[in-house]
Amino acid sequence: MIRLSGFLAALLSVLALCAPAHAGERGPATADCPQGVLTLTLLKPQANPPTPAMISAWEASNKCTKIELNEVPFGQLADKISVLAASGNPPDILMFDGPNTQSYAASGILLPLDKYLPAGLKDDIDPATLAEHSYEGHVYSPGTQQTALALFYNADMLAPLGITPPRDLDHAWTWDQAMDAIKKCQKGEGDNVTVWGLAPSRFGSGNPGFVYRDLLFLRTYGDPKAPEDGSLYKTYWSLSRDGKTAQGWVNSPEAIEGAKFFSAMFNVEKITPKAGIPNAFQDRKACFTIDTSYFIGALVANDPGFKWGVTPLPYKRTPIVHTGSITLGVTAKSKFPDEAAKFVIEVSTGTIAADWNRTSRSLPVMKSIAADIPELKVYPLSIFEEELVRWGEPRPPSPHFAQYDKIASDALRDIAYGADPKTRIDAAARALQPILSR
Amino acid sequence: MTLRRRLAAWGAVLVFVGPFLAFLATFQYVPLFRMIRDSLFDFELLNPDQRSFVGFGNYLALLSDPDRRQSFLVTFGFAAGVVCTVIPVAFLIAVYLNGRLPARAIVRTVVFLPVVTSAVVIATMWTFLLDPSNGLIDNALAMIGLPKLAFLTSQSQALPSIVGMMLWQQTGFATVLFLAGLQGIPHDVEDAARIDGCSAVQRLWHVVIPLLSRTTVFVVVIMTVFSLQAFAPAYIMTSGGPNGTTNFIAYDIYQLAFSLQEPGLASAVSTVFMLIVLGISLLQMRLLRTRWSY
Repeated sequence: MIRLSGFLAALLSVLALCAPAHAGERGPATADCPQGVLTLTLLKPQANPPTPAMISAWEASNKCTKIELNEVPFGQLADKISVLAASGNPPDILMFDGPNTQSYAASGILLPLDKYLPAGLKDDIDPATLAEHSYEGHVYSPGTQQTALALFYNADMLAPLGITPPRDLDHAWTWDQAMDAIKKCQKGEGDNVTVWGLAPSRFGSGNPGFVYRDLLFLRTYGDPKAPEDGSLYKTYWSLSRDGKTAQGWVNSPEAIEGAKFFSAMFNVEKITPKAGIPNAFQDRKACFTIDTSYFIGALVANDPGFKWGVTPLPYKRTPIVHTGSITLGVTAKSKFPDEAAKFVIEVSTGTIAADWNRTSRSLPVMKSIAADIPELKVYPLSIFEEELVRWGEPRPPSPHFAQYDKIASDALRDIAYGADPKTRIDAAARALQPILSR
Repeated sequence: MTLRRRLAAWGAVLVFVGPFLAFLATFQYVPLFRMIRDSLFDFELLNPDQRSFVGFGNYLALLSDPDRRQSFLVTFGFAAGVVCTVIPVAFLIAVYLNGRLPARAIVRTVVFLPVVTSAVVIATMWTFLLDPSNGLIDNALAMIGLPKLAFLTSQSQALPSIVGMMLWQQTGFATVLFLAGLQGIPHDVEDAARIDGCSAVQRLWHVVIPLLSRTTVFVVVIMTVFSLQAFAPAYIMTSGGPNGTTNFIAYDIYQLAFSLQEPGLASAVSTVFMLIVLGISLLQMRLLRTRWSY
């Protein structure tokens, strides 16, 4: 019983004790490095940049500095950073999820990088990314890569139905048009669906509700050009611009309308399953899937054996895609902030970043890098790049984004599973308000 | 005993018990007291130095919070479900294994195997089994003409589904405990009942079950505590959903502390939970106290 009751505190202690990440240190002087070889520590999620090749490339031109990597699964990254923040001995550099920038900045975990940014660099950063990585006028990360969502389709399945999805943003489908195509393409109903219209989400745990994807179904019912005190405006932003009010924003009448549309996909139209199906699109178990530009790489590397295409993400009232990806920052407690900032900026902005963007099919954050990658102007990558520039918005920025993310995700998941949209979204707004007001 | 021998005896005690006491204090009691202290503060895990004393504010908040109340109800409902299903099933299997029936060794192994399997592995495996699209159980239902069930995505089915999984996982352990209890019952008591003309069912009801009450108390307490500690099913299978119907307290505490950044409230929930579990265990031991001795 004591073990049970001490669960939280014991978990914290053990996690902190087991944490392999620690601050960097300077080694003894050598002939080439009179000040000694500096080792900077970097915490990053597994299978994400900076890759060993990126680090080696940077170390090659910075011979007196080494980078010591500590990796955790992506799902544990935020928890790990929380524990390290409490430990007082964090690594010098963090690779963290961009939407958490304001949380980490407000908590004093991240160091503002303004004084390290080369002249003109701020103007080179994609505006949505700059907004996401800034807090109270300070920039905390230049950003390494960006993502956007689009609708992938199985062209072989659509061709016999005479459906040709648009290939440019100016002719993007509305959700009504997309639903027509999705319903026509689905095979079977009830317990006997053999091909789903829309594949289940593969984000997060594979269940519905992931804010990056599913909050868009609500936000697209809003309008950023509407009067600022109106509900259309609030629906689009989903959270007050200062990140402190959820009531009336996340649960505006139009947002509830969006939540009902989202619910209907699972519970009325039944065009997408409630539980995950691994590789549903590649295995021809779904006609459409919503995914990022990385998915192109997966389809190219492992040919699914059918023709596929990409169409811009459908919208209801206003087209919108969420930006946000993992990004590099310097911890405020680093003993070597100058060197750590040098690494962060050079890996995020120079040729190392350009090579990474080119090979990984991730979208560049820097406009100058985007201009140097011709593939971004060619279909299908052009759709993602154009979406990012024209439709991209960060997930609702707030020093409490992590809490917003958790509560909104749970609400969206429950709505997909059949909870009443209005009741559930109202409950989420109620739960969020005291947290945001702290 | 001379002073020297006394000191030597205490020295031996210290050498043998000291390290374990140190571990116990470091990893159990110090965190426990820190947890109680933290429950009186409002702070974020990301910024633990900026904390404000709120007294019993976190305790009042949890009392008025419908999500916390639901979490407690769900957890105790789950524990009741597990105890009420595991105990009779495990008892019957133990009675079977205690007899001279065929295939006892195989059944014993099969029943005990889930106990030695990791909770994470079991939760992952059952997630696949209960999957509505490709899951074995739904496909089996479809094969015999029954409709597929939503299991983990249905508000009414998620908790019973996890109770079913726990029944499968924990029955083996309870069975072994009951089997040990059965094998400890003196044969002469049963023989006397048989000579007095008791049928097998009467012997079971009037002799075996009463004499097994100590074991039953132990199994009930163990199963209750195991169930109240449930974390992996919520973490891996349901994320506490749908609509909080599997939001077990251990998982809720984790989410409060790490995702919602409210370690003060999480500590208050932990403290209240500790007291309730302590009370339940004492009550169970009192209610199920044995009136028999052998």
